[in-house]
Amino acid sequence: MAPDIEKLLEKYYDGETSLEEERALKQFFQHGEVPEHLQSHAAQFGYFANARKEQPSLTFNHELALMLDPPKRGPVSRLGTWLLRIAAGLALLLVGFGAGWLYQSKSENRAVSAAFEGKEAGQVEEMKKVLAFEQMDNTSASERIQAVNHSYEISDADRDITQLLINTLNFDPNVNVRLAACQALTHFADETEVKEALIQSLAIQTDPNIQISLIETLVAIKEKRAVDQFQQIARNQEVLDVVRLKATEGMNRLNADV
Amino acid sequence: MPLNMDLQAFNQRILPVQGRLFRLAQMFLRNREEAEDAIQDVFLRLWTNRQQLESYQSVEALAVQMTKNLCLDRLKSHHKQKTSNETDMVAMQAADVSPYRQVENSDSAGLMHRLIGELPEQQKLVLHLRDVEEYTLEEIEEVTGLSNANIRTILSRARQKLRENYLKAENYGTGY
Repeated sequence: MAPDIEKLLEKYYDGETSLEEERALKQFFQHGEVPEHLQSHAAQFGYFANARKEQPSLTFNHELALMLDPPKRGPVSRLGTWLLRIAAGLALLLVGFGAGWLYQSKSENRAVSAAFEGKEAGQVEEMKKVLAFEQMDNTSASERIQAVNHSYEISDADRDITQLLINTLNFDPNVNVRLAACQALTHFADETEVKEALIQSLAIQTDPNIQISLIETLVAIKEKRAVDQFQQIARNQEVLDVVRLKATEGMNRLNADV
Repeated sequence: MPLNMDLQAFNQRILPVQGRLFRLAQMFLRNREEAEDAIQDVFLRLWTNRQQLESYQSVEALAVQMTKNLCLDRLKSHHKQKTSNETDMVAMQAADVSPYRQVENSDSAGLMHRLIGELPEQQKLVLHLRDVEEYTLEEIEEVTGLSNANIRTILSRARQKLRENYLKAENYGTGY
């Protein structure tokens, strides 16, 4: 065997051995009876054979697995979070739209129903409160005008409201509020008590604007009973000429209609 | 072959090479911890570039190249610090060797390890791939890009040089 080994060694150092032959050499020097003169080669082959058994430590494998594990979940969870993000975005968008739609339809409903029911009752109350005679010192003229204008929105006004407006027309300290009440009352001029109140108010009113407004309203509704009042105004020297002219004109038109 | 390598596929292709890469790194760095650290780095790089791995004929050859380059870079950066890794070598001895022989081997193994480390870069790489890892010449070609004849020459020189140095060290050590 030794001569073969020597030949193989020669080949080996020339770099001509095959893997098989090299394995045979390793085998020989590790486990065979190595002759004295070949002993010096043993270390080399022994080293190669042993070195080949080297492995990284177990903790290394563990660490490596840990290190590669997060990246493993990386692309998957990245994809997941991407999808999740898109899904979450869409969900939020839908929720937003849904909420907006719900809110809008709700508030629409509320607006509609309030206009017909709740709001009206509330408004009437509000209007009564603002226009209440004892409150006049506490409310501003514009507030009261606003309250008067609310009466336009009320579909079926009851006596309370017309009475309220009549009171405002007759007793409100502010001319503009009285004028607003006068204009508001023209909407309810069909009712007899409103007509009577308008005629009576004409006797009380001193402001030419309101006088003219009342005359026009009474003429428009063709209230014949106002003729006497018109006559009084036309004769009254204290009343402004414009108003007297207006009263005369109204008188003539009411008489002409007969 | 899937376009995207998942961890399982990655492990299947790379982990069998782990031992080889480790031994290569250890041969270069002559330190167990540093070797582990180096190949961990290699694995991480391979993993992050796993999409491109498909375009390589041999992932192993690539990994070996990467390990070699990384180790050489590291050696350059901390200027070949002479770490006493002989104690590491003792711990690495195979268990099936008798205690007496283990001690004997560990001494000569330590010496061998050092002597291989002292060989020129190319010689030590080719010697390691062939004599330790038992690569075929074709495989060495793939890793080094050297021709067949060239590899044989380098191998021959490396083997002779190693023996020469070993004998020198032994004679010197034993006083011959």
